Amino acid sequence: MTSLLKRVKSKMAIFAHRKARGMLDGEYGSVFRGRSLDFDDLRAYIPGDDVRDIDWKASARFGSPLIKRYVAVRRQTVLLIADTGRGMAAESRDGETKKDIAVMALGVVGYLAHRHGDVVGLVCGDGTGTRSIPAKAGEPHLERLLREVDSATGLDSGPSGIEDQLEYVARNVKGRFLLFVVSDEQAAGPDTEQLLRRLRAQHEVLWLTIRDADLAGEGHTGQDAFSVADSSVLPAHLAASPAIAAAYTKATGERDAARLAMLRRTGITQGHVSGSSAVMTELFALLERHRRAG
Amino acid sequence: MELMFWWLIPPALVIAAVAGWRAFRPDRQANARRRPVANADRLTALPEYQAALRRHRRWLAIAALAAITLMVSSVAAAARPVELTTIAPEQRNRDIMLCLDTSGSMNSADAAVVQVFAELAKKFDGERIGLTVFDSSAVQVFPLTDDYGYVQEQLTLAKDAFDGNPGSAGFLDGTWNGRGSSLIGDGLASCVNGFPDTGAADARSVETGSPDTDSPDSGQPRSRSIVLATDNYLSGDPTFTLEQAAALAKEREVPVYALNPGDFDYGPGPGQPGARLRTAAEASGGAYYRLDSPEAVADIVRSVQETEATAMKGAPQAVVSDRPELPLTLALLSGLVLAGASWRLRP
Repeated sequence: MTSLLKRVKSKMAIFAHRKARGMLDGEYGSVFRGRSLDFDDLRAYIPGDDVRDIDWKASARFGSPLIKRYVAVRRQTVLLIADTGRGMAAESRDGETKKDIAVMALGVVGYLAHRHGDVVGLVCGDGTGTRSIPAKAGEPHLERLLREVDSATGLDSGPSGIEDQLEYVARNVKGRFLLFVVSDEQAAGPDTEQLLRRLRAQHEVLWLTIRDADLAGEGHTGQDAFSVADSSVLPAHLAASPAIAAAYTKATGERDAARLAMLRRTGITQGHVSGSSAVMTELFALLERHRRAG
Repeated sequence: MELMFWWLIPPALVIAAVAGWRAFRPDRQANARRRPVANADRLTALPEYQAALRRHRRWLAIAALAAITLMVSSVAAAARPVELTTIAPEQRNRDIMLCLDTSGSMNSADAAVVQVFAELAKKFDGERIGLTVFDSSAVQVFPLTDDYGYVQEQLTLAKDAFDGNPGSAGFLDGTWNGRGSSLIGDGLASCVNGFPDTGAADARSVETGSPDTDSPDSGQPRSRSIVLATDNYLSGDPTFTLEQAAALAKEREVPVYALNPGDFDYGPGPGQPGARLRTAAEASGGAYYRLDSPEAVADIVRSVQETEATAMKGAPQAVVSDRPELPLTLALLSGLVLAGASWRLRP
């Protein structure tokens, strides 16, 4: 089995070649601005500040004491949150397995964090249980996380439910982390919104939605499908009826709007991808959006 | 209703069970050709989709029901449903000779007898009937025949003649050629000889009528009977006495059923005409009926017919007739329904 991380890195290299080299790294770094060792800015002295932090030259020019702001070395922790239920073994809008797209997205974010010197942890699971792998640095660790997600997801794993993993994080994770959630088009409920609000208060949250396969309407392939949740068959010729297609388009539009509105209300930056080829672009745009919003 | 090939049912049931097992066993590979999708409630929660799915399932159920009905009725038809009926075919192998004394006193009784047989002839099937009238000489009006249209016609003519309707007097021509009147023994002997020969050697010696030895059914045993209507008032010198004629009838195994409309015996003595007729009839294996009114003839003739019928039911025969109409009709209808449902279900 080829290394999952290697695949991610090669994809990133292609992307980096197309965009300006290192742009992604800069994008990631600038998202978490103020956390580095680098000199950031000057501010007026407030009693209680460390005297060693006074920038004497600047103070002399300015006329009153100024404090050089250094931020202590602090490693950011990125927590990848993934759904390994059988819903992720289903097809995406582009026909790929959603799991592959999820592994690609997790790998890109994890590798960026690794390059930045951050540690990466994982919380994954399905409706029957949630596992967590503590945050560590290093490529082998990242590879292990990706393997975990890759191998745990299959058509015979438990039902999907990202709420379980989010709840697990809300209950068990202390400290301020960067959460990167990869999920699919699950319906937005009031409970989810409450949970997201709770997580957003503690963490920074990035949300990537993997688009599910179209069941009717324009993107419909005309091939019979089955629901991974209960193995029930969805006959293609029923979905092909124009009335159903119209109703489906309307209903999915409302559903997407509701999910987006929920994420926006809770202050979570979100993006969505339909295939693994779009992961890099979308993540770049996602980080960009997050930087502007933050 | 029975099934001739009933043994087809168990194999059909076994095949049906195997087919059912194959159709309903959980098939792990069934979803291999389909693409897996998540969050199917995006589609399945739509009321439009649910309605379409319900329609689809209803048609599926109709198709399944029609297919099952088709199979069941086909198997039922293949198992050959038959109706077993027991009939006594000998009942139809009957010869009845009407032997009517046409002396003036007998007219009303003769008319009644002829009318009853005219009615009975409509229901005859395979029975043969002949008519001989006699006064001083016997005339065979028609021999034993199963041409019921002709029989009907002749009996109607005979009835007209007995009722004395104008223009029908010629019917009785030829019955006064002998010496005397009401030569009953001769008449009865003529009737007995009117039956075709059965090939019995002893009967051949006394044959006087036309022998019918090469009749196609001469070897086939048929029940024979004579309905003799007479008052047994003899005036003349017959060749056969009544007793001789009765003995001839007995010898040929022909029972004589005698109807006597004018039983005016003076006392119970054996020499009285009615008593002699009774003796003669019973000696031949038949019976004697005294007629008080012509209307009673119908009842008597029917009772004669019934006694004959019960006597005939010796060897009942089972008749098997196929009755595939119901299962085949059902199969056709369910086939049409199945075709319609399949057309509706086509992808």
